Amino acid sequence: MKALMSVGALVGAIALLLLVGMILDVVPSNTVRLVEGYMPIQMLLEVACFVAGFTGLSYMLSSMGMAVPRFWQGIGFWAFVLLYLKFRVYPPIPFSVRAMYGTVSLVAVFMWVSANEDDWKKFKQPIMNVLDAQSGANKMLRYAYLVLIPVLVGFTSFNAMKPKSEEPIELRTVHPAPPASTKVHGKTYTLQTSQNPYRVNPEGKFDQEYSNKLIVEQGMGRLMAPNANPWDEKNQGYLKYVKEGGEIFFQNCHFCHGDNLNGRGLHAFAFNPIPANFTDPGTIAQLQETFIFWRVAKGGIGLPNEGFPWASVMPPWEQHLTVDEIWKVILFEYWHTGYYPRTWD
Amino acid sequence: MNTSMGKKAGIVLASAFGLALFSAGPLVLTASAEEVPQGFKKGELAPEPPADMIEAGKRVYFTKCVWCHGVDGAGDGPGADRLWPRPRNFNQGTFKIRHTASGELPLFDAKKPTPGQNDLFETVTHGLPGSAMPSWEGILTEEQRLQVLAFVTTQLVKDRKFTDKQSESQTILQLADLKPKEATEESKKRGSELIVEKKCVECHGMEGRGDGNAFNLKDDWGFSIQPANWHKCWNFRGSRQDPYNVKNIFRTFSTGVNGTPMPSFADSTSVDDRWDIANFVNSLCERDPEGNPLPIDPLTDKPKINFVVPSNPVEGEIPTDIENEAWQKTQKRIIAMGGQITHKPRNFVNRIDDIWVRSLYNEKSIVYLLEWDDRTKSVAEGKLPWAPTQVNVDVKEQDPKTGEEGSIAAHQNNYAVYNDAVAIETPVKWQDLPAPIKPRYLFGSNEQYPVDIVKWEADGSLRAFKGTGWDKDFEERDSYEENLKVLKSEWKNGRWYVMIQRPVGNKKDQDYDEDTLFEMGKYIPTVFFAWDGHNGDAGRKMAVSAFYYTFMQPPTPREVYIYPFVIAGGIVLLEAWVLTRRANKRKGKTL
Repeated sequence: MKALMSVGALVGAIALLLLVGMILDVVPSNTVRLVEGYMPIQMLLEVACFVAGFTGLSYMLSSMGMAVPRFWQGIGFWAFVLLYLKFRVYPPIPFSVRAMYGTVSLVAVFMWVSANEDDWKKFKQPIMNVLDAQSGANKMLRYAYLVLIPVLVGFTSFNAMKPKSEEPIELRTVHPAPPASTKVHGKTYTLQTSQNPYRVNPEGKFDQEYSNKLIVEQGMGRLMAPNANPWDEKNQGYLKYVKEGGEIFFQNCHFCHGDNLNGRGLHAFAFNPIPANFTDPGTIAQLQETFIFWRVAKGGIGLPNEGFPWASVMPPWEQHLTVDEIWKVILFEYWHTGYYPRTWD
Repeated sequence: MNTSMGKKAGIVLASAFGLALFSAGPLVLTASAEEVPQGFKKGELAPEPPADMIEAGKRVYFTKCVWCHGVDGAGDGPGADRLWPRPRNFNQGTFKIRHTASGELPLFDAKKPTPGQNDLFETVTHGLPGSAMPSWEGILTEEQRLQVLAFVTTQLVKDRKFTDKQSESQTILQLADLKPKEATEESKKRGSELIVEKKCVECHGMEGRGDGNAFNLKDDWGFSIQPANWHKCWNFRGSRQDPYNVKNIFRTFSTGVNGTPMPSFADSTSVDDRWDIANFVNSLCERDPEGNPLPIDPLTDKPKINFVVPSNPVEGEIPTDIENEAWQKTQKRIIAMGGQITHKPRNFVNRIDDIWVRSLYNEKSIVYLLEWDDRTKSVAEGKLPWAPTQVNVDVKEQDPKTGEEGSIAAHQNNYAVYNDAVAIETPVKWQDLPAPIKPRYLFGSNEQYPVDIVKWEADGSLRAFKGTGWDKDFEERDSYEENLKVLKSEWKNGRWYVMIQRPVGNKKDQDYDEDTLFEMGKYIPTVFFAWDGHNGDAGRKMAVSAFYYTFMQPPTPREVYIYPFVIAGGIVLLEAWVLTRRANKRKGKTL
């Protein structure tokens, strides 16, 4: 038990030091990188580490006779949650969301300190002591609070009332409903029944199972499956078209969507919102190939009214690419991210 | 390259000579150590990576890298022709960012990913800002990055060999042991003198904006190359995602940039002088008004963007002097610019990648002060062969063809020169647009909801246009031009300073189906366009920004100064109430 607790204490101390370093900007906040896609679980693990660490720390301190009063434990933990959300999590969470999490954790802390009558009394004690001001120190504290609280509240309200120029908040519909059919280069494609003409086996037959076997492997790095190199000149069918699609992608799309299809291309920093990240499980992995066909062919301007606000400079690629080229690019995007397109059934 | 090769051979010879005399005693040793530039030490070549790493690296290469760097690593993948700078050609073993002496191969050890001791690994990890090479950290694991480098260094570097002791040597900058000199005013002042003495300004320009000898520079492959702009340290290739770190500048200055005209200054400059120069160069990088580094967005490795451009109120005339207090007090915003690649002629390589904007307004007008770096002042030499208002025009000379000769990199600096220009676009009837009041497309929604464009060109003209849709030609608005005014336009040492004035409008005598009404306290969507005439930019071949907001700051209302006091007073009363209650309760108890 004791050993376990000491390990916990050690973890807690290190974790706390790291967090303090990040807050004071001594340690860069990307020291332990939050990896895209794994971020939620990473954060949960981290917070679990912290909690274990705190348990260990408080155990160690109390066994050394320096027990932290419940009052400070409660306040400390709440402060920790707020600081963690503000300084650790990147990309930053907006204040309104942090306020929500802050309130929830405040309630949780209250439930924890008032779990039974005894704890609640212990928690209240320091507050009562200051109110009663029996000792000199408490008297000092009481006067200090008497002055500080109004000043602080006044100042905060001044800040809140001062006219400010903060960016208006924007909400987006990420995947608007597609139309039933779309007309590209004079031909009408029904989204429900169309197929990617290049998702074919070496015999030239549409074969999703065949192509699914040859896409890049999921897992760190997303590398191509062994012996499925699109640059192999002997390729027939699917992989040959993947390579052709890649050529089109790297002449037209990577400028925004990035060399790794993660929406961080050369020009991406200039746009708001930044271009779609295809490696995110929420984009092409959730959609049918024909949906992508419609989006690529018609671009931002082709979004329906409810796909609001459009705020997209995605051009209608039918202006620059042939139908075949569009299908090949889509084939490449699924290959490179290692996702299977969703099917209609 | 010839000189650097010669120098390398010299170093090899010298070190061989030193080694031969090594046994002769300590006296000779000090003599041979002098052959190594100050701050450098001789190092060992790294061992050959194991075969299984090379094989694994091939898999990484053909998934991720081949698309730009090509099957044979000659920097000629499908992406190459529309990029400038072009992707690296690995065959010659010429690498830019190193800790090794000029002309030498970079540090690479497939088994030791130690920061500061593995140049190629750090390049892949952090990417090369200002080029299309991204940071691969978080995408490829550390092992995968080492594997792919094992493949590149053994299979794709063809003219040199990383393990050949006969022809290769490593003279390594001991950056970890060298303590940066404190960036005192004195050090920076000495640096500013040294950059003139060392002729840095000949290429990098008087103010370090890379505008010196910007036109005649070529890299080893004959492609046009630009000197670095010291004011944008986040675009330094060697910034290693830590742009304000003076060590990066010290390293590049000490080792030179292989394959480019940037030589190593290690032989001719003492370590102390090098720190002075690095401190000065570092001090030029854009900073906030307090002199702190700009916050860098880790998602883009560029300065963080605030999309609201505040405009401050001015009583009376708006000053035209940038040094005026009103301008100095106004917050500057960085506007990120990307290439317009959606309509022909497309701009894959935009040479203007940011604009600094400030704004002031009075009762009648609003003035934008736009400052942006442009290495060349361009005024059109002839007439543009197509209408600049036109969209979707096939302009043959602007269209990159495939193959090295047709590539954008080969065309750089061979374009017909047009006007440098800048434009501000605001939507008409923005009040009627649903929140967040942005037009449907960058160039206007439709006939009913057009945009109002004010464009200044380097020939001195200031014109107004109307944009009515995503692929509609702009329409010139002759009637509006008399309302516009250029308060200032100056190109100095690689930077444009342009002040454009336009009416804020009033509800009485203007037609708001045509013009934008600038209303105080409202968010008015604003887009910026920029053209670099020497990049062949004209018409839709331009750099574009996203939607920003112009916000005319209202003066602070009086209530703001009153209510906080009232609230604070209320809190005092509340405190008194709590205290009395507690005291009474205690009394009740004790009694």
